[in-house]
Amino acid sequence: MRMVRRQAHRGPDSQGIYSDNDVTLGMCRLAIIDLPNGQQPMSTPDGRFTIVFNGAIYNYRELQAEFAATGWLFRTTSDTEVLLAAYARLGAKCLSRLRGMFTFVVWDAREHTLFAARGPMGIKPFYYARLSHSGLAFASEINGLLASGSVQGEIDPASVGEYLAWSSVPAPRTIYRGIAALPPGHCLTVDAGGRLRIQASWHLPAPVQAEHSAGNYGDFIRGLRHQLEDTIRAQSVADVPVGAFLSGGMDSTAVVGLMARGSGQRLKTFSLVFDEAEFSEQASARLAAETFHTEHHEELLTGTRVAADLPRILTTYDQPTGDGINTYYASQLARQGGVKVALSGLGGDELFGGYPSFRDLPFLQRLLPLWRLLPASIRTAAVARLRAQPSVRARKLADFLAHARDLHELSSLQRRVLPEAVRLSLLSPEARAQAGRLGPNHPMLDDFVFELIGADPFQIISAWELRTYMTDVLLRDSDVFSMVHSLELRVPFVDRVLIEWLWPQPHAFKYDPRHSKQALADATTDLVPAAIRQRRKQGFALPFARWMLTELKPFLDETFSRSSLAACPWLDPQEAGRLWHNYATQGDSRAWSRVWTLAMLIAFANRRPGS
Amino acid sequence: MNALLLSPELFLREGGIARIMRLYLKALCEIAGTDGRIDSLVLNDEPGPEPRLARYTNGQLGEHIGCDRSKLGFIRHTLRLARRTDVVVCAHLHLLPIVWLACKLYPNLKYHLVAHGIEVWRPYTFLERRALLGAERILCVSEYTRRQMLRFCPALPLRRLIVLPNTLDPYFAPDLNDQTSKAPLGTPRILTVGRLSSDDTYKGFDTLIEAMPLIRQEYPAARLRIVGMGNDQPRLAALAARLGMTDAVDFTGAISDEALRAEYAACDLFALASRKEGFGLVFLEAMTYGKPCIGIRAGGAPEVVNDSVGQLVDYGNLTDLAAAVTDLMRHPRDSGVVRRHADTFAFTSFRHRLAAALT
Repeated sequence: MRMVRRQAHRGPDSQGIYSDNDVTLGMCRLAIIDLPNGQQPMSTPDGRFTIVFNGAIYNYRELQAEFAATGWLFRTTSDTEVLLAAYARLGAKCLSRLRGMFTFVVWDAREHTLFAARGPMGIKPFYYARLSHSGLAFASEINGLLASGSVQGEIDPASVGEYLAWSSVPAPRTIYRGIAALPPGHCLTVDAGGRLRIQASWHLPAPVQAEHSAGNYGDFIRGLRHQLEDTIRAQSVADVPVGAFLSGGMDSTAVVGLMARGSGQRLKTFSLVFDEAEFSEQASARLAAETFHTEHHEELLTGTRVAADLPRILTTYDQPTGDGINTYYASQLARQGGVKVALSGLGGDELFGGYPSFRDLPFLQRLLPLWRLLPASIRTAAVARLRAQPSVRARKLADFLAHARDLHELSSLQRRVLPEAVRLSLLSPEARAQAGRLGPNHPMLDDFVFELIGADPFQIISAWELRTYMTDVLLRDSDVFSMVHSLELRVPFVDRVLIEWLWPQPHAFKYDPRHSKQALADATTDLVPAAIRQRRKQGFALPFARWMLTELKPFLDETFSRSSLAACPWLDPQEAGRLWHNYATQGDSRAWSRVWTLAMLIAFANRRPGS
Repeated sequence: MNALLLSPELFLREGGIARIMRLYLKALCEIAGTDGRIDSLVLNDEPGPEPRLARYTNGQLGEHIGCDRSKLGFIRHTLRLARRTDVVVCAHLHLLPIVWLACKLYPNLKYHLVAHGIEVWRPYTFLERRALLGAERILCVSEYTRRQMLRFCPALPLRRLIVLPNTLDPYFAPDLNDQTSKAPLGTPRILTVGRLSSDDTYKGFDTLIEAMPLIRQEYPAARLRIVGMGNDQPRLAALAARLGMTDAVDFTGAISDEALRAEYAACDLFALASRKEGFGLVFLEAMTYGKPCIGIRAGGAPEVVNDSVGQLVDYGNLTDLAAAVTDLMRHPRDSGVVRRHADTFAFTSFRHRLAAALT
């Protein structure tokens, strides 16, 4: 019950416990579909299977009709019961039938086995820890696991090294020793003997599928529009009000446009605005809101407010993150604005080539064979020279040249926050040894490489963006910071059906290096105003570089103080302090994310969970 | 079949590649047929008689030449022997461009590469790429190695890449006369085997040593036996000392086959914490003794070690490593099951699969 209470913000509508001699399942429910009847844990009528389920199954009505036709007697109209029926009928094979975002656990009381699954892209989290005598504890947030009292919250020095590289700790590691994250698209079973087995349940589709590829650009755009409409229709299913985040960029405007087109009601949209004009997309968001006649809500976010809220925000973290503050405030605004579900444009950059990596990395890839022709002594000297430069770009290039052998490794390294030499210098000797052992590349490199055999360069970069930054940082933060406000955040671009359709399409249709996200613009040309379609990408960024030197400076001075750093034995306190001192005195605004990433780690180690 | 086997080493030192290539020589001799002839050319081995050669050959062996590290001699002999050969089996990518050159001289010559591990998990030079694309078959020791080759040379036709797992030397099979190691008793006694080289720190001997304090929390009498030698041993010994584990970690140095058998027979479980094993032949050796294995969820190890014979853990994860030891001690694997798993890699099946791949 302590675990359920610690996660009550994730589901304030009801709580439930199932317990027998072997297992205890707890649930706090955010009621979205079939509000009065979808309580969890839910068992089959014969009592054999019991489920706890986090997320939403968007095609539950189709599945319900299918199972009802074969004799399953449904007692509710909830997606939970449909998922339970699907598992009872099909076992693990039901995963390929699900369209949604989910993690769920089913206890089979007859076979004494436990089955857990996490959705293809990992929108919903799943953390677990092995207990003594083959036991297992699991939860949607690590704070919930820690509340059990059976799991220690000891920060793992090896994970600290990973965090400093990626601004999050990639699954299956977590920041804590002995606590693991089930990777996206994987399932876990515990058999009657207590033996745990993990295996992949979903992979990216085959890169080339001639029978599913559009023959020309016109067909592709018509197909894409159909898929987008289908996705938005599916993800708008709910028995509560559904709104949308509206930054004013291409992705969120397309989502809102498609939602408004398919909805008979006036849609609620939500934007953060800033005093700092260069970060504010207020004009674009207002233009979109006016175009789609939405009930638009804006909130001014200032550095002063962030500084005041940070101690509270930090208590909601279950792992440190260098990102996500924007989602915290946007979710708060949406919940206060009267919606329980919001859709976001997250994922559009990854699918339609919205990041500079899509343009830059293939060029670097072509240079690598020429670079390798140089004598080793020249290469070593050049890398050393680049590393000595103060410029972030120079040091990133040094990492590329020193560690990348192909496009996969370029794609992996380009998402690093701290250059390798800086990362290692920030760590204590013990943590440095472990970081050196794991190396500079992403820990899932082999898995992703093998998933992408035969893929073209666009698919490779897209997959890396989807599998790393989006999954490890954006989706994780989105879940934590929306659920803390009891808001269900849905991400229609991160939809299995859409991705499976889009994946094998010719890359020339999906990506035009001269015009960012041209395909998405063309597919929504009747919806998205031309001024937004033709705007340069701005991203959903906050003016942190400036705030860190003004309103947030006292917080950072305290964070990098000797007493705070004393709680971080896996850091080199002098190097950490120097990083902040250099930023505060030299004001290189491009370095803000490195300093902030480190600050969040130190603040995390000093926080008082649950306070 | 007239075949030429090109190897970097066969008997000079006890490395994984040398051991498996001796079995290639044995299998080639056995499948050559009565009219066939197998020549063997070894780059680094010393010339002259080799007493162990008879174990791995039969009457079909033609010439066996050690080139004593002479590359020029190796090229000269390759070009000479290739003239009377139908098939070349090349044991190392580094040697493949020479075969490619021979093929230019003798266009009917077919050649195959044995792809082991890290030597092929990298970008290829222009010459290596050309040579790879000309190979009739590439015999990969694991699916992992096969995929790495496709990663770095996507132009390779899939049908030319065949997975032919390594096999166990029939001469290494357990014997009733095997002695048990006289080393101090410990519970559990964990055995690891490999080269202790500072160039190969990925082998993970340091992680095993670092996991010992955690293992000893559960099993205060646990011992780690490290078999092998190399220039990394002083660093590893210092690490053990720094952790206060000097009395828990034994470095045996290089030992004889008999002594190694004794170590396998005496251990409770075998562990190899390496991140980059193309296959992990030592797992098979341990399994023939019915010993459960701990491997790393990386490289080719997951294709050899599964739940029924041991456990896989993530590289560098000391907690999981210690937990795996505890789990294998509390839930011992059935030694019969472990042996039967090793039997699936028996030499006879290997020989059949090699014969099929070469035809």
